[in-house]
Amino acid sequence: MTISEDIEGSSRASSLSFEISGAIEYSTPDARLGRLSIAGRNDIDTPNFFSISSRGVVPHLTPDVIGEHTQPGGVHVALEDFIERATIGTPPIMNVPGNAPLHTFTCLPTSFITLLAPRRTPAVIAPIGNTNTAISIFTSTGFQSLSNKAYVNYAEKLHPDIIIGLADVPHGTVPGVKRIDKMGDRTEGWLTELLASEHTKSAVFAPILPIEYHSQFEYLNNLDEFADKIRGLAFYDSNLLPDIPATTAVAQLPRLSLDEPSSPHEILRQISLGMDIFTIPFIGFATDAGIALDFQFPSPSTSSEVVSTGNGSTTKSLGVDMWSTEHSTSLDPLSVSCECYACTIHHRSFIQHLLSAKEMLGWALLQIHNHYVLSKFFSFIRESIGQGTFEADCETFARYYETELPEKSGQGPRVRGYQFKTEGPGERKKNQPGWRGDLEVA
Amino acid sequence: MSTFTPAPMPSALTFELDARCSTTKARAATLTLPHGPVQLPLFMPVATQASLKGLTPEQLEATGCRLCLNNTYHLGLKPGQEVLEKVGGAHKLQGWKHNLLTDSGGFQMVSLLKLANITEDGVRFLSPHDGSPMLLTPEHSISLQNTIGSDIIMQLDDVLVTTSPDAARMREAMLRSVRWLDRCIAAHANPTTQNLFCIIQGGLDLEMRKECCEEMVARNTPGIAIGGLSGGEAKADYCKVVNTCTGLLPELKPRYVMGIGYPEDLVVSVALGADMFDCVWPTRTARFGNAITKHGVLNLRNAKYASDFGPLEDGCDCLCCRRGDGGLNVTRAFINHIAGKETVGAHLLTMHNVWYQLELMRNVRKAIIEDRYPEFLKQFFKDLHTDKAKYPVWTVDALRMVGVDLME
Ligand SMILES: [Zn+2]
Ligand SMILES: [Zn+2]
Repeated sequence: MTISEDIEGSSRASSLSFEISGAIEYSTPDARLGRLSIAGRNDIDTPNFFSISSRGVVPHLTPDVIGEHTQPGGVHVALEDFIERATIGTPPIMNVPGNAPLHTFTCLPTSFITLLAPRRTPAVIAPIGNTNTAISIFTSTGFQSLSNKAYVNYAEKLHPDIIIGLADVPHGTVPGVKRIDKMGDRTEGWLTELLASEHTKSAVFAPILPIEYHSQFEYLNNLDEFADKIRGLAFYDSNLLPDIPATTAVAQLPRLSLDEPSSPHEILRQISLGMDIFTIPFIGFATDAGIALDFQFPSPSTSSEVVSTGNGSTTKSLGVDMWSTEHSTSLDPLSVSCECYACTIHHRSFIQHLLSAKEMLGWALLQIHNHYVLSKFFSFIRESIGQGTFEADCETFARYYETELPEKSGQGPRVRGYQFKTEGPGERKKNQPGWRGDLEVA
Repeated sequence: MSTFTPAPMPSALTFELDARCSTTKARAATLTLPHGPVQLPLFMPVATQASLKGLTPEQLEATGCRLCLNNTYHLGLKPGQEVLEKVGGAHKLQGWKHNLLTDSGGFQMVSLLKLANITEDGVRFLSPHDGSPMLLTPEHSISLQNTIGSDIIMQLDDVLVTTSPDAARMREAMLRSVRWLDRCIAAHANPTTQNLFCIIQGGLDLEMRKECCEEMVARNTPGIAIGGLSGGEAKADYCKVVNTCTGLLPELKPRYVMGIGYPEDLVVSVALGADMFDCVWPTRTARFGNAITKHGVLNLRNAKYASDFGPLEDGCDCLCCRRGDGGLNVTRAFINHIAGKETVGAHLLTMHNVWYQLELMRNVRKAIIEDRYPEFLKQFFKDLHTDKAKYPVWTVDALRMVGVDLME
């Protein structure tokens, strides 16, 4: 984890390559295996996932812990987390020395791939819409507009391994007919400008908009013309995947999901459509809610774990609520047979104590575990696809597990992030005031 | 009070004096505890509720820490004695392979709960859970610490702020602390695996401190703490108390001054003959974006660090600051970017600050062993204040008491 090795030649094209194993059947969308390689980074076997960062850090985890105890393929970084000072001057990240400023600034392990997107995932809804030249973003000091020109400029300087083109996505609102007409045009125009930049050595992923296929028909068809320049597709809506032109070079591009899957079942569904790489907000939601994810694909390997499902009417929970005092003296790991750092060194009793005492380490350990569970999940999925049993295994998984993650019962960590934007004056405070006698803790 | 003749007391530690400064009263020693040896002088970070501000035990270990604190009062509330009993103690609870020290819980009760009051039985207080009246006795404190299983446990003492003007009450507290020590010794179930330390009281009255030293030393505990300080007294008074007490304490036992942690206080207290210290300040201040450096404390939330791509401290060898060799290359600008917004900012600063404190004491120890502690002190204050005119008067006076003239 030293300073990122320089990628030689500042104007050289990205070294990203993606190989799909086996014969590709273009005509039918299907789960597929691939390998994403970028010079100087670890190769990633797909399907796989990228961690979601906040201000360049995976919440709760210091960079050494990420490097030693988690195995995501890369990290999703939002530009809006770094440019609050853009309205008054140059954002500090633009002054970072060296050839890989994003890596250098965020202290990420060099083996990790950085993926730069304009906005966080999920993104805070902006009150003002996008324009022909810019989108609305939400920084730590409020809303700003980010022009495509500025975005290209950031890309040229920051050199993320992968950059997602600016997209005209109306986060949170349903666009009207007139607006829909513009979305494809704007996005295509912005992508064209990004691809024309001679100083970008990042791999450009073209955004696929969360609107009907026919509404972005022209844009999607034109992607074919860019196919030699774009290095991947980023889906704001995974349902568009079957509509992507299937006969061409476009089909061989890696596909990234920004579709915010709400459960592992949803991940499996997207994989069955041919999705390769995921960003998964529910990992962080579960961690903050004090939930230890607890699922394996297609079902637990150890027989002792198999709960008696009897006639099949009961299904197993996808997670364990660690706030529950039933764990307070348990020396069991978060999930049986889990080999993550949290489960090998610690036990439920400690994690329950940490949550109850509101000690930050509780969320750090859960975050380590939850990332590990997902890494394992994807590794078994790859195995399953390789063996040709993926479809049947998905059915097993669906029968075995509940459809949604458990509800949260306890409090999350102290909410201090600006990203938790209040939705209106009537909204309840995120942090409930503590009990009068809550003690000041060192 | 007549001097007490102690029953022979087992000890679960060995103390080896490695070196003595030929000018000051500073000593270097090796203290071997049930979970391994530690090198004195030593700073101990405080993991109040069995966790140090988001650091994994592995990360704490990487700072070189081999002895840290847990607070009995907090562990008694959460997870509680019953859970600790079932889990098998605090080491097991938190996955910590090294040594632990716990306080008695009394001080925190008195300082955190305004309604606590002290009687001969113990500390009476209202339960923070439901407001019901509770009593912490010396026996209960020891029982809790026995369950926690810490390598060093502290007696319950009657603590008054040193600045209390009530001499009669101060004397009562001192004498009661001695009586409570006897009750703690009698109640201690594991003297062969846990080391009970007494706590010298007596406020700022040096005669009272002498009397207390005499009584407590006679009880022959494995280690000795100097208590009741760091409560707002003048630093000059603090130094006189430490200097007086260390002059009366047996040479071959560890001396622990409770609640001390500012770098200046540490290096001066070592010169006055103290060995062990603890304080929440380095970790607490991390939460506010502060990095401790040899040139003083930097508040990295300040906008002037937003584009400062230097390490937290030049030349620092902590995991955050280290270049290469697995170091993270954390910059001041990055901390500025995440401080107050992501807890990772506090975790990183905690790692640096704990490292700073431990490294300071490692360097202190090295200087003592090489018999150049006076020179070390001079360089330390030069780095911190640059200009001699800015040296705090109390540091200059205190070090003169032990033969070092910073103004030379
Ligand atoms: Zn685990
Ligand atoms: Zn450092």
